[in-house]
Amino acid sequence: MVTRFRPLAAVLLLCLGGCAATTHQASDGFTPPSGKYKLVVMKPDISVSVLTAGGLNEPREDWTLTARENILASLKQQQAKRGGSTQVVFASTTAANDDPKLAELDRLHEAVGQSVLLHKYTPYAALPTKKDKFDWTLGKLATDYGAATGNDYALFLFARDSFSSGGRVALQAVGMLGCVVGVCVLPPGGLQQAFVSLVDLKSGNVVWFNHLVSTVGDIRTPEGADAMVNKLLETMRDPDAPKKSKKS
Amino acid sequence: MNGSRRHFLIGGGACAACLPSLAGARVLPTNLESLVDTNYEPLDPDERGMWQSCERIEEMIRTSPQRLDAPALQDYTRGVVERLVGRETPDLRIYLMRDSSFNASMYPTGMMIVNTGFMARVRNEAQYAAVLGHEAGHFFRKHTITGYRSIRRKTSTMAFIGAAAGAAAGYSGQGSWVDAANVINQALVMSVFQFSRTHEAEADAFGIMLMARAGYSTSAASAVWGQLIAERMASAKQRGAKYKDRSESAFSTHPPSEDRMQDLSDTADHLSTVVVTNATDGRDEWLAAIQPHRAMLLEEQIKLNDPGASLYLVESLAQDGWTGVLRYNEGEVYRLRNADGDDVKAADAFAASTALPDAPAEAWRAHGFALLKAGKTPEGREALNRYLTMKPDARDAGIVRYTLNQ
Repeated sequence: MVTRFRPLAAVLLLCLGGCAATTHQASDGFTPPSGKYKLVVMKPDISVSVLTAGGLNEPREDWTLTARENILASLKQQQAKRGGSTQVVFASTTAANDDPKLAELDRLHEAVGQSVLLHKYTPYAALPTKKDKFDWTLGKLATDYGAATGNDYALFLFARDSFSSGGRVALQAVGMLGCVVGVCVLPPGGLQQAFVSLVDLKSGNVVWFNHLVSTVGDIRTPEGADAMVNKLLETMRDPDAPKKSKKS
Repeated sequence: MNGSRRHFLIGGGACAACLPSLAGARVLPTNLESLVDTNYEPLDPDERGMWQSCERIEEMIRTSPQRLDAPALQDYTRGVVERLVGRETPDLRIYLMRDSSFNASMYPTGMMIVNTGFMARVRNEAQYAAVLGHEAGHFFRKHTITGYRSIRRKTSTMAFIGAAAGAAAGYSGQGSWVDAANVINQALVMSVFQFSRTHEAEADAFGIMLMARAGYSTSAASAVWGQLIAERMASAKQRGAKYKDRSESAFSTHPPSEDRMQDLSDTADHLSTVVVTNATDGRDEWLAAIQPHRAMLLEEQIKLNDPGASLYLVESLAQDGWTGVLRYNEGEVYRLRNADGDDVKAADAFAASTALPDAPAEAWRAHGFALLKAGKTPEGREALNRYLTMKPDARDAGIVRYTLNQ
């Protein structure tokens, strides 16, 4: 399967006007889950921040909680349309219910997912041995988990969203002014980034992966969360579907 | 650097003038009040966001396979913290972690992390308390949030995120500090929470104050740093490198170790004249608590392949008396370094270990092989048999039996 390397910087440059771009990766011979299957949605890793004037991302608890609820609702709705029986799993936040195996799977996916991002989506960081193929796996940990729970697939989602503070917007306005005299330094505003990966719990392989970068959208609202989830998952159709979607 | 810290004292220590006996450049320990109590809940959005992020990190730490499973040591550690704080501590959660680096850390939510690499180097309860008290200082003085706010004002992102930013930048540099902390590697988790030098100095002072109140010998605080400096020097010498204080740099968040040691020592001297009576260093208590873990702690250090540091460590701990475990590890350092004459030194150390009552089974194995090498076959075989008797299910029992059957 041909893979496409899409330098993030280039995507962002094209996106200055405000747009969203996704590029997905799929393993050889991937066919989307169909018929009766059990998909487990792992606890999504979501954080929503305010972008301070100085460019710090400052996590906001209330925004993050709302966004998480919205995204889970969207995922459920989206999966219901596909006909699978979706079960949502939360890694517990109380010590009494900690499941170390589940936590380990989360951590493993985090490492693998970040590697995919680095080596498939970052310019100059492509690995020669992974050229033209997509063969990441979570291995035995995932298959063991599948066998123990009877789930067929696991869906992992990572999302970061940020919104400019008043100070940041002012800074951007000042930057704009500079353009008048020919010195254009535009501090970037809030940004939405997300990735989602589908793991086949029979093989342990990451069979499908999609990454989204957007300068528009707001996952703090149900509509914004729907939009993100749909953009991330809409290309999970069949192997011959267009590999890239882009909206201005 | 000393200058800047003096400057802080003048600016921040309102009571500097009323204690003229304190000549040095340090934060005064006597008027630092705790800023959080057991029911503390953050209200501001930035602090709440920070707590939420920390809770996520704690979830990761809590379920980490790197945690040291040692309930007795866990209770002991809490006991030391409670003695320091002078009350029960339902607001603190203590995690002992298998990590060979000299470190302990405290998160604003009350999560305290104590590394095995720190425990390995501690010689008595007072030294243990010194570092835990320092960490508690960061917590009770709310350094994380005040540090963050100061950075936000100065808008120098890099200083706050520090080295961790590079790793987080793998995700296009748009992550928050929690993403930096999220990068699996625990060392990074810790480096995210670097405090400013003034905060470090204040935590030192706070820690010493707690120690004095709890009746710990306050000189232990500077002793910890003294040991660390000496160990790093020994390590550098062995490697043929020049000792460099990593916190010497102007960009470092920590006061230079030697200045810090001096400050701690001055403060301790001062406190010993005004506060402390019958201070103890709790050596016996510490040795009893750490004894079941010493072999693991030393093995962890020795496998770092830093013979200079390891020899220093073993010899430093041996100042409280050689044990079979210490002698065995001394031998291991020589065996692994394998320089000229090290085989003899290793053999001597293994022999010395087996002469002590707490010699580990591994010492008998090492002693046995050393004897066989030296041509003392009957003695060597006897030692190896002793190993098999002590540890019949050892993973290498088969190969030892094979040797015996030759």
